[in-house]
Amino acid sequence: MEAWKERLRKFLFPAETDYWLAILRVGLGLQVVLHSLSLKNDWNYLFAGSGNGLISRTLSEALLSAETPFVPRLGWLVTIGERFGLPEEAILSAAWLCLLCAGCSLLIGLFSRSSAILAWFLHLCAAKSGGLVSYGVDNFMTIGLFYLMLSPLPDRISLDWRLRRPSPKPPELFGFFRRILQLHLCLIYFFGGLAKSLGSGWWDGSNLWRALIRPPFNVIAPEILVKWKYLFPVAGACICILEMGYPFFIWQRRTRAIWLACICGMHVAIGLTMGMYLFASVMIILNVAAFGPGPFWAQPRAVSLTTPDQTT
Amino acid sequence: MRQKPVYLAWFVLHFLFIIAGSSRETFGLIERGLTIIPSGSYVGAAEKIASAVLAQNLPASNPLRRALATYLQMAGIERGYGYFAPNVPAGYKLVFELHYRDGRVDYELPRVNSAAAGLRVASLLDEIGRTRYDPLREYLVKMVARSIWRDHPGATTIRAVFGTINLPSIAEFEQGKRESYQFLYAYDFSLRDDSAESQEP
Repeated sequence: MEAWKERLRKFLFPAETDYWLAILRVGLGLQVVLHSLSLKNDWNYLFAGSGNGLISRTLSEALLSAETPFVPRLGWLVTIGERFGLPEEAILSAAWLCLLCAGCSLLIGLFSRSSAILAWFLHLCAAKSGGLVSYGVDNFMTIGLFYLMLSPLPDRISLDWRLRRPSPKPPELFGFFRRILQLHLCLIYFFGGLAKSLGSGWWDGSNLWRALIRPPFNVIAPEILVKWKYLFPVAGACICILEMGYPFFIWQRRTRAIWLACICGMHVAIGLTMGMYLFASVMIILNVAAFGPGPFWAQPRAVSLTTPDQTT
Repeated sequence: MRQKPVYLAWFVLHFLFIIAGSSRETFGLIERGLTIIPSGSYVGAAEKIASAVLAQNLPASNPLRRALATYLQMAGIERGYGYFAPNVPAGYKLVFELHYRDGRVDYELPRVNSAAAGLRVASLLDEIGRTRYDPLREYLVKMVARSIWRDHPGATTIRAVFGTINLPSIAEFEQGKRESYQFLYAYDFSLRDDSAESQEP
């Protein structure tokens, strides 16, 4: 029993460097910037209240409130702003600008912790207030920013580190948060792959065909796609195997690099053939941060700051 | 690191919720008969257990349920990960017929300025198509109709036609069949009272 406990402790709290965290910070910073810029011209239109936008933000917020009234939303910011006489449009624009600035700060590592919290908060506000117009990318950005916000920032390549030289954090803490991200990705792919495997359409390629010709993902003309029809069953089965096999093969030293490369390749393909660039990029960032350091580039070994006696 | 037990407790709870949420979604797909696995009473029982872990069996106003829902939403783990699964669903289309006083008729689609926002409009149409609650569907369509009206203030009535996009299989495509549009609902909105009359096939 003690041996098992020790193995579990070693697995959950391995001594790690902060390389992975630097990748996550820079990657998510870039993601937040691209996400903000991609919605620049539609931000107010998507998140406006009754009568001004595509769909009322207040409806999404009311549906959210029925579940829980405590989740951050843009309506809170608008209400605060209105008390100071600021119009909704100005508040929404300010929220967009703050999100963009938080992304830029994360990118260079300035005020890393505060920027991570701000980016998570504003992104969550937008994702929840726009619940009716949200899709997978919002979910994965929330997950990534949530872990980034809790992780032991700043990392050593951040501007914060160069300017303030903070005291080093325990390497076990870096290891713990990396494990959380790794295990979460394993569950994401396992359940995603399992759900796909339970549908007949992924094994005969018909679902892949439907996904590629379904508006608005129909980036490639079906006349071109149909020439590759014999590849669809193979590609569909490969997607199921890649996703379901992820939690088993990503941990093996021999298969980790190939599995990671294949998963990233799959996301690149999703981005290019379905136009889901932001979805592809956030998945690649999470994967590379979680499993990249090690198989693709060497990282110095982290030395534990604590003795085994101190770990309990 | 003296806080290890705290981190460990958080880890256990956090992953319990992720597994429960993902399992619940998977069992839900099986129970609704959407998968190749036949549905049985065990599936419903398993889904109930997963829901209980997420406090979904408690009343909506229960503080524990609300606290847990808040955490799940803030961590981004409130739903499973079965995107495009078990099968790729049909797409939806919303077309607006704008009727003017002089008898002219224009056609409009919900419009945004970027491809990134276009994906969000597709999510909205999926949401409208999925909803089983008629008044909510009508309200959502009405909201989008209002946005169209702002750009076309001269229109006196708007007919919103909501339909599903039927996608051809590879074999059908090779035989010349192309995507088709199947009517599901229509709503008529007039500028005077902003009220709607709905039609179903």
